[in-house]
Amino acid sequence: MKGRWGWVTPFVVCGLAALLPLFLSKYYLHMAVIVLMWAFLAVAWNILGGYGGLHSLGNGLFMGVGGYGAAYLVLHGGVSPWLSMVIFGVVAGVMGAFVGYLCFRYGLKGAYFALVTIAFTEAAVYVVSNWGALGASNGLSLPIAKENNLAMLQFTSEKGYFYAILALLLVLVLFTRWLAGRRFGYRLISVRENEEAAEALGVGTFATKMWAIVLSAAITAVGGVFYVTLFNYIDPRSVFGEAISVQILLYAIVGGLSTVWGPVVGAAILVPIAEIVRSSALGQKFQGAYLLTYGVILVVTMLFMPKGIVGLAHDIRRRFGGRSAAPGPPAVFPEKLETESAGKDGLAP
Amino acid sequence: MTHLLEVENLTRQFGGLTAVNKLSFYMDQGEVVGLIGPNGAGKTTCFNMISGSMRPSMGTVRFRGEVISGLKAHQVTKRGLTRTFQVVQPFPEMSALENVMIGAFARHRSRQAAEDKAGEVLERIAMKHKATVLARDLTLLELKRLEIGKALATEPELLLLDEVAAGLTPVEIDDILALVRKLNSEGMSLLVVEHVMKVIMNLSHRIVVLNFGSKISEGTAKEIAKDPAVLDAYLGEEGYVA
Repeated sequence: MKGRWGWVTPFVVCGLAALLPLFLSKYYLHMAVIVLMWAFLAVAWNILGGYGGLHSLGNGLFMGVGGYGAAYLVLHGGVSPWLSMVIFGVVAGVMGAFVGYLCFRYGLKGAYFALVTIAFTEAAVYVVSNWGALGASNGLSLPIAKENNLAMLQFTSEKGYFYAILALLLVLVLFTRWLAGRRFGYRLISVRENEEAAEALGVGTFATKMWAIVLSAAITAVGGVFYVTLFNYIDPRSVFGEAISVQILLYAIVGGLSTVWGPVVGAAILVPIAEIVRSSALGQKFQGAYLLTYGVILVVTMLFMPKGIVGLAHDIRRRFGGRSAAPGPPAVFPEKLETESAGKDGLAP
Repeated sequence: MTHLLEVENLTRQFGGLTAVNKLSFYMDQGEVVGLIGPNGAGKTTCFNMISGSMRPSMGTVRFRGEVISGLKAHQVTKRGLTRTFQVVQPFPEMSALENVMIGAFARHRSRQAAEDKAGEVLERIAMKHKATVLARDLTLLELKRLEIGKALATEPELLLLDEVAAGLTPVEIDDILALVRKLNSEGMSLLVVEHVMKVIMNLSHRIVVLNFGSKISEGTAKEIAKDPAVLDAYLGEEGYVA
């Protein structure tokens, strides 16, 4: 995965994945599409939450911007969702910059940053629920496709969606790899690890965090556009509700924060589990059984592999003398609690 | 003639307390200046203001003739003035090499160039053999070296060392001392805050003594050791000064 030929891995993995439609039934192919969609969203979250250590609990906001925007433009003017990805990528990026500016100006991080992102997303529920043009609380429905139309991202079979999201994910994985291996990636991790030290070593910490949230928001909006073209339906709670935002981070944490593949692995394992539980006898009886399963998996992950599945693999490789091309992942809960260094604004010795 | 570093009337208040009060001093190229004083004298606050991590309430800092007070820490670093921290501040989940690379990125855009530079620095601080070890697995002495290494990688003209000897054994102190002296002999200017008198007396060309935020004395090690004001400030701690 690492080293000179590391960039080949994403092509190989996606190449193999591209063969899946040959083997999978419609039901499992649909599941694969959903896995890839969540993987995409989790990789986008990981830029800010994993590499930057800023755990956003409000990425549903940016997803909703993409989803609602694309749906509206399809209904009024038939604008291609591909174009919407660009437009609302930019819009979400600007919104991300706004949220980021408010938070980072005052040095918010950790739980405080997460709370602000929840607040914005929760506010969006009520704004959009009262916004007539966006269908208020009924949401927006797109017409069901009668024929395959790549330009409008509408397909009659799962296969079309599968290849579309696979291609998007391939591009995103390659982008993340590239980003993590260059100066920006290193600096972003240094900000997560120790902001004061990073600043003293010439890292513009404010600018670094701003870029991270802008990128993460923009890419998340692209995922939101795909979401609405897949389900043909969007309503306020489905994207701005807390469930979505929590799910995204769950996949990244279980898979492995600040690793390129962690969020993908996390989604590939957790999404099918949720589906299986939901369709099982238990799931039929108790509606939230899959959430309970997620909770158990999260606790087990925290206890036995705090760096997630891919993080654990990194650690094992490091132990056997392997060399990483990019810095490794953090534990989700570092052993030491992050406390502001006492000297900063208190009485310094 | 402009000095390398000129500190003029530097003042910082925390509420009603004046931590640093109208402090003025200067440094020239190639000098090692020590900044000493009893606990709470304002040494670290002074450091924070010079390096840009804290804004002064009043006064200015000039570096190579340019006013740098009011700039952010990363901008100050870009101009060639870097600090280390009293309590080591590593990036725990990064390897020693990657830690140093963060400093090197201040001068180099490409990863390869930063990695090469970081490799050089590790050699200089005798840490090459630890390059792939995560910072959280290093010993305190190694972390202290790494702290200097990270700062060196930003290619500073003036290095601010905040208590590099704190927490080390006498043998380890000699070890760090040799490293610091080597840096100075290679032409680097150093401003050193230190509690361990052996270090400061050995190293500094000149010493500035602070007490309750104000400068009470300035001169060579010999001169200040005889200054009654200094002895007074350290009363009860004279063992240190002797």
